[in-house]
Amino acid sequence: MTRVLCSLLILLGVAPCIAVGQVVDLAPPTDVAASDVPDDTGGQIAVKWGLSPQDRPAADGSNPVLSYVIYRKLVQTGRGLESGAETDAGAGEIIFTSDFDYEANRPVGSVPYSVTEFLDENVEGGVTYVYAVAAAGPGDSFSPLAVAAIPVTAKMQYINQGKLWFLIIMMVISIVIVYFVFYAKRGGKIKVRPIAGLEAVTEAVGRSTEMGKPVLFVPGILDINDIQTVAGITVLSNVARTAAQYDAELKVPTARSLVMTTARETVQAAYLGEGRPDAYNEDNIYYLTDEQFGYTAGVQGAMVREKPAACFYMGAFYAESLILAETANSIGAIQIAGTAMPSQLPFFVAACDYTLIGEEFFAASAYLSNDPEQLGSLKGQDVGKIIAAFLLILGCLLATLSTVLPAVAPLRMADLYIMNNVLGEDGLIPDEERVTMLNNEINELWEAQKAEPAIDEGAN
Amino acid sequence: MTNLDPDKIKVILATDCGSTTTKAILIQYVDGEYRQTHRGEAPTTVEKPFADVTMGVVNSVTEIAELAGRRLVGDDGRIISPATETDGCDIYISTSSAGGGLQMMVAGVIAEMTAASAKRAALGAGSIVMDVIAANDGRRPHDQIQRIRDLRPDMILISGGTDGGTTGKVVQISELVAPAKPQPRFGSDYSMPIIYAGNKDAREPVSEVFSEGGFDLQIVDNLRPVLERENLGPARDKIHDIFLEHVMAQAPGYDKLMGWTGAPIMPTPGAVGDILQTVARLQEINVVGVDIGGATTDVFSVFDETFNRTVSANLGMSYSISNVCAEATMPNVLRWVPFDMNERELRNHVKNKMIRPTTIPQTREALMFEQAVAREALRLAYKQHKEFATTLKGVQQQRTVGDTFSQQTSGQTIVDNMKLDLLVASGGVLSHAPRMHQTAMMLIDAFEPEGVTMLAKDSIFMMPHLGVLSSVHAKAAEQVFDRDCLVYLGTSVCAAGTPKPGKTCFKYELTGDRTASGEIIGGQMLLIPMAEGESGTISLAPARGIDLGEGPGKKVQKTVRGGTVGLILDGRGRTLTLPEDRSSCQSTVQGWLDALDVYAETTESMAV
Repeated sequence: MTRVLCSLLILLGVAPCIAVGQVVDLAPPTDVAASDVPDDTGGQIAVKWGLSPQDRPAADGSNPVLSYVIYRKLVQTGRGLESGAETDAGAGEIIFTSDFDYEANRPVGSVPYSVTEFLDENVEGGVTYVYAVAAAGPGDSFSPLAVAAIPVTAKMQYINQGKLWFLIIMMVISIVIVYFVFYAKRGGKIKVRPIAGLEAVTEAVGRSTEMGKPVLFVPGILDINDIQTVAGITVLSNVARTAAQYDAELKVPTARSLVMTTARETVQAAYLGEGRPDAYNEDNIYYLTDEQFGYTAGVQGAMVREKPAACFYMGAFYAESLILAETANSIGAIQIAGTAMPSQLPFFVAACDYTLIGEEFFAASAYLSNDPEQLGSLKGQDVGKIIAAFLLILGCLLATLSTVLPAVAPLRMADLYIMNNVLGEDGLIPDEERVTMLNNEINELWEAQKAEPAIDEGAN
Repeated sequence: MTNLDPDKIKVILATDCGSTTTKAILIQYVDGEYRQTHRGEAPTTVEKPFADVTMGVVNSVTEIAELAGRRLVGDDGRIISPATETDGCDIYISTSSAGGGLQMMVAGVIAEMTAASAKRAALGAGSIVMDVIAANDGRRPHDQIQRIRDLRPDMILISGGTDGGTTGKVVQISELVAPAKPQPRFGSDYSMPIIYAGNKDAREPVSEVFSEGGFDLQIVDNLRPVLERENLGPARDKIHDIFLEHVMAQAPGYDKLMGWTGAPIMPTPGAVGDILQTVARLQEINVVGVDIGGATTDVFSVFDETFNRTVSANLGMSYSISNVCAEATMPNVLRWVPFDMNERELRNHVKNKMIRPTTIPQTREALMFEQAVAREALRLAYKQHKEFATTLKGVQQQRTVGDTFSQQTSGQTIVDNMKLDLLVASGGVLSHAPRMHQTAMMLIDAFEPEGVTMLAKDSIFMMPHLGVLSSVHAKAAEQVFDRDCLVYLGTSVCAAGTPKPGKTCFKYELTGDRTASGEIIGGQMLLIPMAEGESGTISLAPARGIDLGEGPGKKVQKTVRGGTVGLILDGRGRTLTLPEDRSSCQSTVQGWLDALDVYAETTESMAV
């Protein structure tokens, strides 16, 4: 039934409609066609057309066509008229009639002259539409409607073909991660390079023990929903275990109440795990204030009064980083910092004994726990980084070579493929249009080279 | 003890009372320099039925007297001092390791910090450290108490806390020791000496803890007053004092012997350490010394004037040979043997050596196997030494932004083979090898020296004597050490890096008493004969990535000294790796042995 209706529409739409109520003195656009936008969620339809023969500057420089106006109608299906949001645009009408009223029907969009395409982003998936385009001139002048020959239905695609390479790379990395997780679980050895900052945790806590001073742990100034704070709490767990073993006093001032609660739970669990629940003192993990510099002043005060022998800064930091690190440096404490804030890293590196930089900070959990799942995941991510680095190097190399040797077709093709298919959104198969253009360009280069006269080296 | 003007000391008599043998040497001022002139030895008589160490001393000295034609022992049985033209000596000195030497237990708060410093102090003083008790050693208090109770140390060294640091933890450690009531090895009426070298603020509570229970508490300066600095001197001196006053006084005959000596009797390893430190200081060089025994292997090192000593208690060539084979694994031992050996026979050989420690190899194959075991024992002992001889832990670091990607933890080893100038070997398997070439090869294979390094061996195990002598007459000790104590094997020139097999590793040009030039291929070894007393200058041009002392690929010019072996050029690279495949490994090792003429009876002339 739908097909019958569609065929009827086609027959009606082949010839331009003669509208009524408006001045019609322009030639209509040609070859109107609408198509579903591929690799989307079914919410877009692309409309294309040929320019109106009158869409060109007149002798006085003016253009009789000022814009193109796009209309659409719902197509009635066997289940009745599809409901749509565009009731204003023609609810109840299923075809563009000869007495089309340009004023009563609201267009779905318009584009300036010389433009030959329009993307309708306000369509409903699964609904069939028929599109028509009219050229619009000065005043209320319009051309007759040029109706698309074939109605179109916006459909959702489950796989975005343009992102296939992304999917492949993700699959490879996922498989590698899973492989290494199982490898580690089976007892395979995964080597993690020594991270000086984490190796030094026992040394810092040991120093505190020998000197009879507390250990100060600052978990950053952001809340627990920040990933850096979470990573900081992971390190806190290790510091707390070591403090419990060495019987050192651990103090954790926090800037957020939720961080305080989490830190208390973490430290308590660590002391319990080490068989020292009696040594855990809840009051040593306390809340100061949410205010950035109020908190900084509070921590500084604790440093100057209690002179901790070891200070840890693990989390998100802003301007307070250098203030804290310099204060602790002045009291002779060993300092270990870890943050993913690039702007604060130089300050920590210069003022602290050890600094965990970005990824090292997030790898701390796997490094400290030695948990096979985390280690496997870490290794898999490393493989992903190696793949990314390899593609970068290959891309750079091909881009350079294809620039130096523009007439070598395989190089240009490989460069085109990496740029548009692997890194771009052309999917697995190269775009024919691009390939044709490239081939033409290469052929022209060859032709130009052949045409060049041979250099007579003997001539002067 | 006598206070003699060093310039007036012309005749020196020294003994070393070992567990089995008492060795005596006579040093005389001859032609403007001190030389070791005669030696003698006799069985040690500390055990029953003699139970008087001086009997062995007199016997060994009598042997020297006969050889030297000089009357050294008087009619009263005492050593004659001072010297006359024909009789006696100006000073008599002695060391002792009889009865198992000095055995100590040490304790500290943190194993890697104050406890490690305490261990360094004890080892430096020449003791064997039986155990290290620390708050973080992973043992529960009752286990620690049981362990202390089981041990029978000669004395205990307790450290912990910086000055003004923790008091509670130090007292806790003391409270582990006091109720355990450790019993001394010798004498039931002997009060266990406790040396406290910790936080000065904790002295009073620690004294209170040890006020009862029959302890002899001695307090010295903190050996780690701040974490950034060690102060081992006072603790070491106190260990020596207690060794004399308590430990030696309990051993049969030592009270008498102490009355004879002109300087305090020292534990043998402590004296060896002293002479190496003296030589390193006077000649401004870095030295490593090794003494491989039947049960233990001592490694001494002086790098940039920092002295370290380790005792590898389970690495030795007789009592501990089984442990060496177990720890190193048999494939690692056999990789040094260039022919197939029956593993069952080898195991029998190892066990026989263990239960009959005085046997010596009867066949060439047995000798090669024993020397292969020695390589592994030395390698493992040196590895342990490197792990122990480190910079101080718990020290604040100074950084710049340039350190972003090159942060290193403290506690890195200070042993740097490239900076090593002199490697001294002693101990039966090294000193009594049939050919000096074997000693040199064992040293190079086990220690893997880099760059230009002198190799030497202690001719008659004279280092202990000279160690005590260095405390009263450093110049005489150094002269005798250089001229008579050491037998110079030669100089090794070893490439660090990974040379490519078949490609040039480095080029050399030798000038001076001998001339030679050529190139060493990756994996090749070459021996250039260079007799003792000969010296020359060698110019070295390493390939890219190969380091001979000035950095990868940089040219080097050094003075080299000959010896009984000669000049050894080693292009095998570092770390030394041998082929995995057994037959390939055998042929490679055989090639090296041939190149250095290690097991041949006659040395073929080498084309240089």
